[in-house]
Amino acid sequence: MVSSLPTVPTTIAAESLSKAFSGAPLFRDLSFSASSGLVAIAGRNGSGKTTLLKILAGLTRPTSGRVRLETDGAPPLSVSEQRLAIGWAGPDLALYGELTALENLAFFRRAAGRPESEPVLVRRLADVGLAEEAMRRPVEEYSTGMKQRLRIAFATLFDPPVLILDEPMVALDVDGRETVHRVVEKARKRGTVVLASNDERDFAEPEQRIELAGAPGREA
Amino acid sequence: MSALSRAWAVCAKDATQELRKKVAIIAVFFFAATALALVSFGVGPFGLRAEDRPPLLAALLWIILFFAAATGLPRAFVAEEETGTGLALRKTIPAVYVLAGKTLFNFILFLAMAAVTIPGFVILLEWKVGSFPAVAAIMVVGGFGLAVVSTFLSALVARAGQRNVLFVLISFPLLVPLLQTAIRATTQATTGEFPSEGLRVLIAYDGAAACAAYMLAAVAWED
Amino acid sequence: MTRALKLLLLPYMGAVIVAAFLWPAPAAGFIGESSRIVFFHVPCAWAATLAFIVGAVSSALFLWKRDRRYDDVAVASIRIGLLFGVLTLVTGSLFANIMWGTWWNWDPRESSYLLLVFLYGAYLFLRAAVEDPERRPRIAAAYALFAGVLMPFLTIVAPRVTASLHPQTVINREGKILMDTPTRVVFFNGLAAFSGLFFWMLSIAARAERLSRRE
Repeated sequence: MVSSLPTVPTTIAAESLSKAFSGAPLFRDLSFSASSGLVAIAGRNGSGKTTLLKILAGLTRPTSGRVRLETDGAPPLSVSEQRLAIGWAGPDLALYGELTALENLAFFRRAAGRPESEPVLVRRLADVGLAEEAMRRPVEEYSTGMKQRLRIAFATLFDPPVLILDEPMVALDVDGRETVHRVVEKARKRGTVVLASNDERDFAEPEQRIELAGAPGREA
Repeated sequence: MSALSRAWAVCAKDATQELRKKVAIIAVFFFAATALALVSFGVGPFGLRAEDRPPLLAALLWIILFFAAATGLPRAFVAEEETGTGLALRKTIPAVYVLAGKTLFNFILFLAMAAVTIPGFVILLEWKVGSFPAVAAIMVVGGFGLAVVSTFLSALVARAGQRNVLFVLISFPLLVPLLQTAIRATTQATTGEFPSEGLRVLIAYDGAAACAAYMLAAVAWED
Repeated sequence: MTRALKLLLLPYMGAVIVAAFLWPAPAAGFIGESSRIVFFHVPCAWAATLAFIVGAVSSALFLWKRDRRYDDVAVASIRIGLLFGVLTLVTGSLFANIMWGTWWNWDPRESSYLLLVFLYGAYLFLRAAVEDPERRPRIAAAYALFAGVLMPFLTIVAPRVTASLHPQTVINREGKILMDTPTRVVFFNGLAAFSGLFFWMLSIAARAERLSRRE
């Protein structure tokens, strides 16, 4: 039984999010919602972009507020479907070094209960620009650029309606950057892309732009 | 896909990693071998009176298995955090399947360890196994409980400080009833009795631990 | 606890202590006056167990309601449980020395209480080792509940399976209470007094915990 993720419009809504570690909050009462298009998150280093994206992806809890995922009209998503409906890739993302790229993706699909055949996985990796020979080598042998491409493949693994990318262009050459562009453009037409990048000029007009000021006195 | 095959996917992934890197396997078997050598050097096949042998050897066997397990089993979750892969796992797979898969892997690791240590005991210490089915049953039932508790607790300590000391401290009080019962049952098995009461207690313990771990999995590992 | 109850607890406890020494006669089969220890040893053991139950229930409530005050109660309870657990071991040890000449026997019942004390210590150590203050109560609650499920094996199975030096407990095979009237009165009042003492200490400790969180 393979149930696919919703193809109906899915809205991601952040309601009054705040996050504080010890001391002054990074951001307070942050709300937005999007069901399609590009949401750009801007701010200097240390302003909380990565933390915000992790909260949206469900990897960290906010100090207050919540994130909701809605499907207009369609039955609500189960917890596990919600988990997969939001794809995420960030600099913290590490995959299994002893396994090949193919084995990594195959594992995550299988453990999530939605296995995919090898040809399909090969195509996914080819879409992010990994050579077929490289797909079958252990990830620990990859260059940083290749690892970054694999991260993008991981984020899009379940064809999520919401894609969250934290600094996706890092370590990529011209080809890599083009690949990311393609992925982002495709995703923003079908659903939502939430993107944080120091190189904002790389992306065409976002539908929404959120500027994080960061906590006072906190600089990277 | 069934729940079991999802858990199995996690187990298979851990096994693949282990077979390629062999970190836990080497640590565990090296520990067991060293302990075995020390014990047999100290005790030897003729160093004990015949009537003292069953309880003492049973205790020594389980002590070695426990500490070897404490060396290798916690790696289940700790390794994920150390390499940073825990994030991807937490993002994609519900905690229950991760816990189940890793428990399965640790259980298999334990059985492999027992399969090597017991012949070592037989050869080096003249350990008379007595009833082999009984000893096998105790290893399976006791080993499963050990795997369940160790894997669950390793999820708790994975993102804490002082991990090694912490793991031994928090696992010890919970595992003592299991170890006590297993030691007593093993003693009985080697003297020819079938340890039905001990096995029943172990099965009850395993059931309780497994239910508790299942219900608390998400609390223990996710954010 | 209301002020009236707290004020009453002092004379109540005092009366129990005095009565313990003066009213019932020493029990048969015990050396000298040593049977009087039951009026202190058992209530301490009871308070330690109560502490665990309160700790486990609070932990469960915390996970359900996500209200940090339940976590405050849980950690306070376990700390007090540790204290009473140690007192149980000490009073038991004194008794053992009088009756059998050794301070410690590795008796199953003794040992299971020692394990309980280790368990409390482990809980507190675990809390100290989790650096993230947001994860700490969740991890601690998970451990408390997991341990709670395995507790029966610690305290019931081991002592029942092997013969024990420990004197027969109140809950015995015949299901009857074998004490004479003075002993029974002092004993059950002792249990009540120690329970009161436990809850009083708990309310103070839980409040202290909540206040220290605010800083």
